[in-house]
Amino acid sequence: MTKAIQEERPVPAGVPALKLTNITKVFGPVTAVDKVSLEIPQNQVVGLIGENGAGKSTLLKILTGLHEPDSGVMEVAGKPVRFRRPQDAAAAGFGVVHQEQSLLTNLSVAENIAMNALTSKDNATKGGWYRWGQLNREAEQILARVGAKIDPRAIVGDISFVDRQMVEIARALRVDELTHTSPIVILDEPTSVLERNETAILEREIALLKNIGSVIFVSHRLDEVMRICDRIVVMRSGSVVADRPTSSVTEEDLFQLMVGHASQATKSEAADRDKGSEPLLAVSGLTRKGEYKNVDLTVRPGHCVAIVGTLGSGRESLVRALFGAEPFDSGNLTYRGKQLRSWSAAEATRSGMAYVPAERKVEGMVGGLSAAENLVLARTGRSGWFVGKGKQKKLAQEWFERLDTRPKNPSLHLSRFSGGNQQKVVMAKWLQSETLQLLILDHPLRGLDPGAAETVNAQIRAARDGGTAVILLADTLEEALDMGDDVLVMRDGEVTARFDLTVDSPTSLDLLEKMV
Amino acid sequence: MANEVLTPAQGETRKAPGRRRFEYKRLGELGALVVLIVVFTVLNPGAFLTLLNIRTILDQAAIPLIVGVGATLVILMGSIDLSVEGVMGAAGMTFVLLSANSRDTADLGFGAIVVAVALGAFLGLFSGLIHTRLKVPSFIVTLGMWFVGLGLATVLFGTDQIPFLPDGGLKAWPSTLTLGLPNSFWLALLVLILGLVVTRYTKLGRFTYAVGNNEEIARSNGIPVNRQKIYIFVVAGACSALAGVLASLRLGAGSATVGIGILFLTIAAVVIGGTSLGGGKGGMMRTALGVILLTVLNNGLILSGVSSNIQSGVSGAVLVVAIIVAAWPLRSRLRIVK
Repeated sequence: MTKAIQEERPVPAGVPALKLTNITKVFGPVTAVDKVSLEIPQNQVVGLIGENGAGKSTLLKILTGLHEPDSGVMEVAGKPVRFRRPQDAAAAGFGVVHQEQSLLTNLSVAENIAMNALTSKDNATKGGWYRWGQLNREAEQILARVGAKIDPRAIVGDISFVDRQMVEIARALRVDELTHTSPIVILDEPTSVLERNETAILEREIALLKNIGSVIFVSHRLDEVMRICDRIVVMRSGSVVADRPTSSVTEEDLFQLMVGHASQATKSEAADRDKGSEPLLAVSGLTRKGEYKNVDLTVRPGHCVAIVGTLGSGRESLVRALFGAEPFDSGNLTYRGKQLRSWSAAEATRSGMAYVPAERKVEGMVGGLSAAENLVLARTGRSGWFVGKGKQKKLAQEWFERLDTRPKNPSLHLSRFSGGNQQKVVMAKWLQSETLQLLILDHPLRGLDPGAAETVNAQIRAARDGGTAVILLADTLEEALDMGDDVLVMRDGEVTARFDLTVDSPTSLDLLEKMV
Repeated sequence: MANEVLTPAQGETRKAPGRRRFEYKRLGELGALVVLIVVFTVLNPGAFLTLLNIRTILDQAAIPLIVGVGATLVILMGSIDLSVEGVMGAAGMTFVLLSANSRDTADLGFGAIVVAVALGAFLGLFSGLIHTRLKVPSFIVTLGMWFVGLGLATVLFGTDQIPFLPDGGLKAWPSTLTLGLPNSFWLALLVLILGLVVTRYTKLGRFTYAVGNNEEIARSNGIPVNRQKIYIFVVAGACSALAGVLASLRLGAGSATVGIGILFLTIAAVVIGGTSLGGGKGGMMRTALGVILLTVLNNGLILSGVSSNIQSGVSGAVLVVAIIVAAWPLRSRLRIVK
């Protein structure tokens, strides 16, 4: 397969697949990308890392034709190009897997894979007509190339997350059929929504991609970048601060390059805190058909329970039930010493529970309101109906400082912040509550760069040390082991193991064993 | 609704749900239709389920069906077209004045239909341009266009005597039977089939679903969202205009308010059929089912001797119930969002 493609490649060896010279993009007062020059060699995987707001996303948008650079030269395989529309980028051989899934969930797999081609000239849709047979056949071939067994006729909304990610990759590869040159595939944090075992599948695919074309891989997980990439480019405040072969850097170097200071990760000292206190929340035999069954769980004030499990382990549904956002079928739920009969999210909030959802765009924020307004949405415990503008602003400013949210302008609409910074605001919304007793965090670090993750983790620890109980659905096993005092492992809706980290010291492998 | 039962269990998604089409996902509406037919047949033995009454129902369904095809496309896109009655009035009046009539000497024959439909398409183009270029929400633009159309029709109507169509010829065409069924129904069926082909086998139709699913994603996939929207508003305008012509033929005279009541009927039919007002979900067959359901309901109520005032109340109640049922599976999600 790869041999045939190599034969028809018209580009001489040695010419970089992509070369950028002094690319600059300015938005109002902000220089998002500042004179970036870099080369992506053929058949290599280049990692692009940087903090939230370092300019990676803008750079990717320039590469994919969503933004036009204000100045600078872009060359693809030695020829200068200008992208005015996404179709231009696709025609030049760029395929993208966006950070947030960008599939049309009501269309079929085949249609989504072909979408970039459908919008330009293509055989399967000549004259505006769909040739379903050809469309499905082509999709099948491409899916086979990435080794995915997905029916091209299936509706995307019906297939699993990891399958959708495969469809995105297949679509990115589709540009190859279009241009008959080697594609440049851009993977923008493809692993941030995947669980560990699914990531392994993806890594294998990326290794295969290298044979066909070049890959730009964006991720916040430094270990992953080290493992997958041949070269690593580090961005900070809009500029490239380093471009090195992977073999010559360490994770610690990368971290320092990204944030400009050394890592401050600290181990938690669970043993120091009071173990004897009454449990704040206790559930026993909690069951919801098809989601989880017979779950027992206790959380004490000042302690953190981390729950790990793959997709489909039922842990998301479980915590939503704890917060009253989803019903459960049977079992007992005791909160602050009282057994609860009816339970709703509103009551939960009133009595000091907070839930930070993973789907922050859908459930955690109001994009049309300013960051400051979002911050005070969940104010609980304070008397009065009205929130003074001045006070609100002061409060917001204080939290922006504490969480290092950028840009430092709380009156901007929340939808205009980058993903990581939105997450910080959503966190702050709950953390600032004075009556907070139990914090439920569903993937709080998803999509955050290491610097931001460290800030958020520090806030979670501070809240915990201040006596707040925490239930954490961690992104990675390391995060669970780092943050949790107790770790619960779930598989297919059942708790398969419990570790008290003050006594046991399980490794990631121990956890993984119980998960799959 | 039983649709939850039909979706495969979580773990089996890899094995693909096969050739399932959205259009046939739900059978609830079909069930409701069967129940209505049985009830009305029992209440009106010898009157409801007769060939004559079936012809009447199909004839009555023709106009909402034609408008419904355009409305479905617009709603699938996540927009709405409220200009239906105005466009019908303007196009109907144009048609009457350009055909042989009692007031002037113009007689373009078949050309009058072409001009009337072109006028509807033009009004749709205008709505689409204002909606996309000036970024005005579609319901405001088309609300305005409704009254622009009505005004246009009223001006054309003037202060002279009412323009009547001569008996025979075109006027008799809609109710003339072909293969035992009225021509108006065959025309509506043709439009429906065109709509079906468009939504299933053309880029125009598939991109409509894409835009309705998520405009931003559609755009980043390279779909020309604005152009797509304009095309659909043009198609919807043309559908409304054709319905206006048909309504005028049936009335036998020019009238600015020839489309009265059609807007509610079609939007209700589209929604009851199961096309989501949020866009992206639904289809032509559902709308056809919705139209038939409402037409049967109205017809049956009349036959059963229910006054027309109560009828409109019943239609409204049916719409609200349909929306509650449609939103039922989403309720837990809504509770979190709002």
